[in-house]
Amino acid sequence: MVLYVCEDSTEGILCGVYDAWASRLGHDRVGLALAGAYNYEMFTEYRPVLTDRAKAQKVERAVRGKISERAWRWVYRATLSREKEKADAVYRFLIHGFHIGEAVTQCLQIPQVHALFALNRAVACEAHHQKEFLRFSQLPDRVLFARIGPKHDVTPLLMPYFCDRMPSERFVIWDAGHERAGVHVKGGLWYLLAGREAARAAALEKETDAGRYALLWQIFFDSVAIPERKNEACQRTHLPLRYRPYMTERFSRS
Amino acid sequence: MLIQEGLSLEEKLKILTDAARYDVSCTSSGVGRRGKDGFLGNSRTDGICHSFSADGRCISLLKILLTNQCIYDCRYCVNRRSNDTLRTAFTPEEIGTLTMEFYRRNYIEGLFLSSGVLDTPDYTMEQIYRALLLLRREYRFNGYIHVKAIPGADPALIEMTGYLADRMSVNLELPTAGGLRTLAPAKTREKILKPMRQIQLGIARQLEREGRLESRGIRMDSIGREPSLPDPASALEEGSGHLKTGRPVLAEGSKSPEKGRPALMDDGGSREGRPRAIPGKSVYGNFGLGRVSAYRPYFVPAGQSTQLIVGATPESDYQMMAVAEALYRNFGLKRVFYSAFVRVNDDSLLPELPGGPPLLREHRLYQADWLMRYYGFAASELLDEARPNFNLFLDPKCDWALRHLEQFPVEINRAPYETLLRVPGVGVKSAVRIVAARRRSALRFEDLKRIGVVLKRAAYFITCSGRMMTPVRLQEDAIAAALLGEERRRLPFDSSGLYRQLSLFDDFHLQEGEKSHGSLCV
Ligand code: SF4
Repeated sequence: MVLYVCEDSTEGILCGVYDAWASRLGHDRVGLALAGAYNYEMFTEYRPVLTDRAKAQKVERAVRGKISERAWRWVYRATLSREKEKADAVYRFLIHGFHIGEAVTQCLQIPQVHALFALNRAVACEAHHQKEFLRFSQLPDRVLFARIGPKHDVTPLLMPYFCDRMPSERFVIWDAGHERAGVHVKGGLWYLLAGREAARAAALEKETDAGRYALLWQIFFDSVAIPERKNEACQRTHLPLRYRPYMTERFSRS
Repeated sequence: MLIQEGLSLEEKLKILTDAARYDVSCTSSGVGRRGKDGFLGNSRTDGICHSFSADGRCISLLKILLTNQCIYDCRYCVNRRSNDTLRTAFTPEEIGTLTMEFYRRNYIEGLFLSSGVLDTPDYTMEQIYRALLLLRREYRFNGYIHVKAIPGADPALIEMTGYLADRMSVNLELPTAGGLRTLAPAKTREKILKPMRQIQLGIARQLEREGRLESRGIRMDSIGREPSLPDPASALEEGSGHLKTGRPVLAEGSKSPEKGRPALMDDGGSREGRPRAIPGKSVYGNFGLGRVSAYRPYFVPAGQSTQLIVGATPESDYQMMAVAEALYRNFGLKRVFYSAFVRVNDDSLLPELPGGPPLLREHRLYQADWLMRYYGFAASELLDEARPNFNLFLDPKCDWALRHLEQFPVEINRAPYETLLRVPGVGVKSAVRIVAARRRSALRFEDLKRIGVVLKRAAYFITCSGRMMTPVRLQEDAIAAALLGEERRRLPFDSSGLYRQLSLFDDFHLQEGEKSHGSLCV
């Protein structure tokens, strides 16, 4: 068994796919793992994967051209998952994908297809929840700032969405868990920051002013509920507790 | 009327939100529009909920009244003239600023603006129009706007407003003309249906201009030549005339297929008188343009909706569903919302409702509404005159399936899409997936699980390549008992009262089950 050990990023995983495929060892004898996220086993050879943009792009083009845009979206989202087995899941899915072609995304009965579908769905779902529940507050100069704590690394999915809806706003989305920041400075161009750069963006949080609109929002939020229909269990199913610390509105405790 | 001057924005927002909350529709769905330079906002076809209030309902839009002053005195309404409450109004600027600042912070998807009737319907509609014009032109807002059309207002004003809004609604509120006469004496069926019809025609013409009528299953010839249309107003009136004798609204429709046929859609494929189910789409044709460009104005691209109050007047579920069905078929509505009656006024003509608003009934009506729009069920299949109310203990689809066991089991690997849809535990998504996946290989029970079928419910109604999941074929009672246990866990209520009712029913059922076979209706 040969395990290709790749970096935990979209490009890293795609390069892992490339190397494993190019090895021609046979699909049963190769696998993918994320660096630092596997247990050593005897009789397994570990080969580090070098992340290289050109290789990753080749894989991306092949997926989009030979399978489908939809398959590519699934793969892309899956690479943002927090699950450790995602790299191998992508590889196993692509084996079927290159064999079946476009119809692969309809074959949920195939366990490896379903596994990738499930990863993709969990990430898409998290991104959707963030689009719903993420809250901006305002920095001096009308810059908007949001702190989020998503399970999966969804900032790259949020940025194009908010850029489209707020092309004239400058904003920062800071993912405190993954320590990444997305930054938009007008005109639809956005950047993803990591490391020290991201930490500088995070420091902006101290400067936000909760402000009048947060209060107005709280008034609206409290008033719009119909007292005779109070149903906190239902509220909890739709709006899980883990999102609430990041939100502007305060939820009353019964 | 106490009109308070000099209120702060905070105070106004509280008053005008309190006054708006009983309108239940708060969706931001139905239109997809990209952002544009220099403007704030875009819109997604499936809509976005931004929060959930303490009553568990979605908050998507800034739902406020322009004013809670009103010249009318509808008995069920908090804002009725005779109520001694504080009255105020927003300025168009206040509405614009609140919408923009809330939207920037991702609190909302847009604005839902409604209003009490101030002075005259025309004056009120004009104020609404001005507020929207300011928001779109001056504040450059490109997000979602849902706005009320005020019955009795000049059609020109409604038309102009419709080009600034995404969705418009006129609330029918009470399903029968008789109900309206008692509880909302100033309103009549005709007055409410008139703007509804105007908006329907406006949307249809917009679709025609875009060359999209045909693909939506809508026939312009039946809309254009008005006389050839069955008069929906009188069809609705006709039914309500029978209210006293307990005959359902539109009972005619279920007997003579000619009359019950959708006026505005071609349902050619329905030999059994059912509308055709189109995967993932409403069977009533999609009224509303849906995807639009951000650079041109469109007339009500997200379609039209209305609201029915549940339980303020004594109509049966069948009558409610028949009215809803007629609204979908004859008025091209995109959505009908159901609002469990909340007794905000102490009025001898209003029912007491000691158990609180009829939430479970409302829940069943929504489920049935869904079955009509996406599953191809006709109201008359779900209920009839002999059985005019939904089973509170089972969802309408399980209930229907139990009463039609002769149509089951359904073979998963062969049944057409429409038939799959009728299997309990199979939703629109899983039916679509089944049809796609079985092309590749025959599906087994474990495959269905991956596809998203709820086997706990579906197991009793399906075969995979000729096999049932359990070897014993269960009797109706046993299936019903199993489904009931499952249903209890899925209900979105926490009400202990309801659970008490359910366990009482179980006892009842255990005793009755041996003697009489079958009907679960209580
Ligand atoms: S017209 Fe509308 S706001 Fe006025 S009393 Fe009737 S329902 Fe209430």
